[in-house]
Amino acid sequence: MSFKKYLLDKTVQITVSIVGFIIAILMLNAFKVENDLKIALTILFFLVATFNVIFDYFRKYKFYKKILNALDKLDKKYLILEILNKPNFYDGEIFYQILYDINKSMIENVKEYNLSITDFKEYVEMWIHEVKIPVASLTLLIHNNRNMFDKRYIEQIKKLDNYINQILYFVRSENAEKDYLIKEIELQKIIKDVALKNKDDLLENKVNLEVDVHNEKVLTDSKWLEFVLNQIINNSIKYKKNNNEPIIKISVKDEKDKVYLTIWDNGIGIPKNDIKRVFDKSFTGENGRIMAKSTGMGLYIVKKLCDKLGHKIIIESEIHKYTKITIIFYKNDFYKVD
Amino acid sequence: MKKILIIEDEKIIRNELKSLLENSGYEVLIIEKFDNVKENIKNMKFDLILMDINLPNKNGEILLKEIRKESNVPIIMVTSRVGEVDEVLSISYGADDYITKPYNPTILLLRIQNIFKRMDNNMDDLFYDNISVNPQKGILKQGEKVLELTKNEMIIFTYLLSNRGRIVTRDDLMTDLWNNNEFINDNALTVNISRLRNKLQNFGLENRIETRKGQGYKLL
Repeated sequence: MSFKKYLLDKTVQITVSIVGFIIAILMLNAFKVENDLKIALTILFFLVATFNVIFDYFRKYKFYKKILNALDKLDKKYLILEILNKPNFYDGEIFYQILYDINKSMIENVKEYNLSITDFKEYVEMWIHEVKIPVASLTLLIHNNRNMFDKRYIEQIKKLDNYINQILYFVRSENAEKDYLIKEIELQKIIKDVALKNKDDLLENKVNLEVDVHNEKVLTDSKWLEFVLNQIINNSIKYKKNNNEPIIKISVKDEKDKVYLTIWDNGIGIPKNDIKRVFDKSFTGENGRIMAKSTGMGLYIVKKLCDKLGHKIIIESEIHKYTKITIIFYKNDFYKVD
Repeated sequence: MKKILIIEDEKIIRNELKSLLENSGYEVLIIEKFDNVKENIKNMKFDLILMDINLPNKNGEILLKEIRKESNVPIIMVTSRVGEVDEVLSISYGADDYITKPYNPTILLLRIQNIFKRMDNNMDDLFYDNISVNPQKGILKQGEKVLELTKNEMIIFTYLLSNRGRIVTRDDLMTDLWNNNEFINDNALTVNISRLRNKLQNFGLENRIETRKGQGYKLL
């Protein structure tokens, strides 16, 4: 709060006071008052006026300075009222009350919004649970009637299940709630589950799956990581090159404080201009346009899940040559609970 | 014959699960009323329970806890809820395994088989007629005669053996191989089967693996 601007703001009052004072002096002149009294009154007037201006200025200065400072330091600016004392001047009080009312209404609004998101999330989770029952029934029905139905049916159902899971993990990754559980798990087990899930697709597309993983353990949520790896493997199959034997290599490097999990494929790769944005929401890029089936959500969800779990994910690629995704797990004894 | 109890309220799944298990040589018991499951199953005799988590009236996890108080029968929990928390909870309440829907039926059968194997404690001692089969060491033994098999050949042979007399599809064999971290392709499977056949033949077991065109294989 600058004093100059404050004074400028008070121009009218100050001008009126000075004009009033001049008139008063003129009147004193008319009544032929002693000069000594006029000087004394002038001094008194200026003292009082200066005091008033300075007193008012400092009172407001103190209040606003505190607000501005606090606002500057606060990460969540709407919490400003929590650290503010009620001002001891009238217009400040009004201002404070206004802030209070706005804040309250905003909080109620956000709360309502939060509730509806939570409702929606619960509904989606419940819906997914319901929709998985007919999917499971179909899987069993097809398996039990294998002479009537071939792999194509299973493949379509698998796709359906993938899309259902994408919604589930999208909702989970967008939500502030913590609905994952970090445990020590064997990478080989998750890779095996993902491989089995995609077995038909991999065999159908004649992809050679080379896994060089042994008994390395990481701290993660196995269901979330399974989804992440499933998305990556699905992409590798989807963006395979047609003119050579497709290969997917999965390997692990175990270091002192980190574990690197690498999924490498010899697919069509990602153009240089696109690679920085593959984790962006709804980004499809050139490959997405070629395949025309991409939603641009898969890798976005993958990145969000990794962020939440505290894993780092890196993507490298050279167009027409390879794509390599590395997930870095940090070893931290803090997580080891059971 | 092993008896399996299915506790599942979805009728289609229950029926299909029943025929899946029966086709694999198990006897299946089912219940159709879920108001007092614990009492209902009290007088039944079974070797394993397959139980859904979402049951009418009572949560499967609570039922699991109650059954565990009185019995050590192996229990596999089946659920369409995807989440680590449910799984950890189920295991801590005493479930032996946990599978999410939709599951690969072959995998479900393998998990059931594993539990029975563990129960009977015969991980090493399998027999094919008078030939002892040791999957861990990868050998077949008939008296002094020993036949060594590779890991893949052994997986194929033990799968055929545990489904002896029934037709086993290529897909079943492939699933079991992949389930053992052997991610081989179609050609490799063909090669492995013909090698296994040759080895068995040299061991004096001629034409024991029958090919059923378009269906699969059968161990005689």
